[in-house]
Amino acid sequence: MEIILRNIKPRYMSESEVAGSDIYLQPEVRFEQGKRYMVCAKSGHGKSSLLNFIYGINREYDGEIEHRGVQEDSMRTHILSYMFQDLCLFPELTAMENVQLKNMLTNFKSDSEIEQMLASLLPVEKRDQPVATLSLGQRQRVAAVRALCQPMHFLLLDEPFSHLDNETARAVADIMEKEIEKQGAGLIVTALDPIEFFPFDKRLNL
Amino acid sequence: MKMLRKLQRKTLIPAQIAGYIATLLVGVAIVLVALQSYRDLRPLLTQQTDVFKAHTVTVSKNVTMFKTANKEGIYFDNKELASLKEQPFVKDVAHFTSAQFNTEAAISFAGQTMRTDFFFESVPDEYLDVESSEWKWDSTSDFLPLVIPEDYLNLYNFGFAESQSLPVVSEGMLSQVTFTVVVSGNGKRRVYDSRIVGLSGKINSILVPDDFLQWANKEFGDISEKRSSRLLVEFTDASDERIPAYFEGRGLNISQSELESSKIAFFFRLGMIFVIVIAMIIIILSVAFIIMSLNLIVQRNRDLFINLYKIGYSCGQIARFYRVVISILTIIDIVIAALLASWFRSIYTDKLKVLFDIDQTGSLIWIIASISAIVLLVLYNTLIMHSIKKTVGVVKREK
Repeated sequence: MEIILRNIKPRYMSESEVAGSDIYLQPEVRFEQGKRYMVCAKSGHGKSSLLNFIYGINREYDGEIEHRGVQEDSMRTHILSYMFQDLCLFPELTAMENVQLKNMLTNFKSDSEIEQMLASLLPVEKRDQPVATLSLGQRQRVAAVRALCQPMHFLLLDEPFSHLDNETARAVADIMEKEIEKQGAGLIVTALDPIEFFPFDKRLNL
Repeated sequence: MKMLRKLQRKTLIPAQIAGYIATLLVGVAIVLVALQSYRDLRPLLTQQTDVFKAHTVTVSKNVTMFKTANKEGIYFDNKELASLKEQPFVKDVAHFTSAQFNTEAAISFAGQTMRTDFFFESVPDEYLDVESSEWKWDSTSDFLPLVIPEDYLNLYNFGFAESQSLPVVSEGMLSQVTFTVVVSGNGKRRVYDSRIVGLSGKINSILVPDDFLQWANKEFGDISEKRSSRLLVEFTDASDERIPAYFEGRGLNISQSELESSKIAFFFRLGMIFVIVIAMIIIILSVAFIIMSLNLIVQRNRDLFINLYKIGYSCGQIARFYRVVISILTIIDIVIAALLASWFRSIYTDKLKVLFDIDQTGSLIWIIASISAIVLLVLYNTLIMHSIKKTVGVVKREK
């Protein structure tokens, strides 16, 4: 699979705001499956917008996005997996239930696999606590595990380590890298500053 | 889908659902009862149970203290007859013929024979609307058909039988009873088998075929005396406003049943329409209420639905819980309303079957209930899906 962007620009940003971008208003930008991309930009430069455009939940852009080589209909469950910046967790459900809620759609992981992944990133007692009682960093780890519970051609991560210390971020990245490797998926990570947790093939400035 | 159900169950507002269930139940039950009873009772008002022609009334003179002393006052003279015939609203006038001979009726029951003195009158056959095969007599026939006043039956059913806890009798049952009529006079005597073949609501008399009475008066009676105390008057239009004025002005009695029954039918219809309109308003309010409630749920839980959509749930999967809940509640509610309406109907049809020989119409309750359920389910399912799509679609316009 390949994601191809042609001359795209958020409608709510002016041309001067996106001037000098390696992606916006470029005639063609290609993201190939199996490769890892890092997209860096300062706040308000449209990092989340870019991933939302690719994920298909925001159409407020000019230009064209092509998901070459896949059917569009199961995009959110079988093609693209997305770890949102705002996490999109359900506070009244426990950490385990939040992951299961996603996994029920795909039946991709067994409960024991999920428990294992959560155990490697969270204190065991936190697994069955409502997400509302977890810290922001702990919630980020739950969202990370959830993002791995589906078949994927690309994993999209929107500032995934913003609330994590280096050591925890490394642990999260290792689990993700293992899954990407296993599935032969591509990776697009946005960040404020360059990060070194993945073996990136390409770095782009937005 | 246990997790999804757990999330969505909390979004429901029990008080609003209870309000919807209660109002829909009341509204649907009233509509079903009203429509079904209208269908069941309409034949009573429109069916021609009366054997007399429509627009025909019986006219007699008021009996006063003076007339009880001088009986001549109750008969119509030729001048009065001529005046009546000239009225523009009168189409035809016919006389009652009275029997001028002795009559006795006898009925045998459980080996006992009961006898009573009897009387007959007759009117021209064209004023009757009885089955021709029943209402027939010739000089060789030994069968004498009778028409009696409907009031006799009502007096028994609603007065005597009710107070004495006796079984009530329908017109059909009454027509099965056979008895013997003995006529005599001029030194002659003859016995007839007899049966009641019809009931009249307009005339308080026992009628036999006109042919029979004309013949029998010659055979057994004194034909010199032929006067009329009662007339049958056929109107061109019974609702003509000059009719009451004319008859009241001349001290004449007029049987009101023709005029009364059309008034009752009108008020019955008006009452039914009123009840149905009120019930429809209750249903519309309950439906509007639950639609507003569903919209409120969607608005209040906008973030939940957007997040579900973001992590991969389709609008159909998100809508499913609400569709199933509202569909099940609505179906159960309408089934209960239909059962209540059927139960209510069984109560009044049991009474009706005994008292009146009306044709039992089929029940509309389940047909109307099914149609209502289908309409409501289609409406709710479409609206829920639309509402969730609209909410989730907002995501696409966000930054």
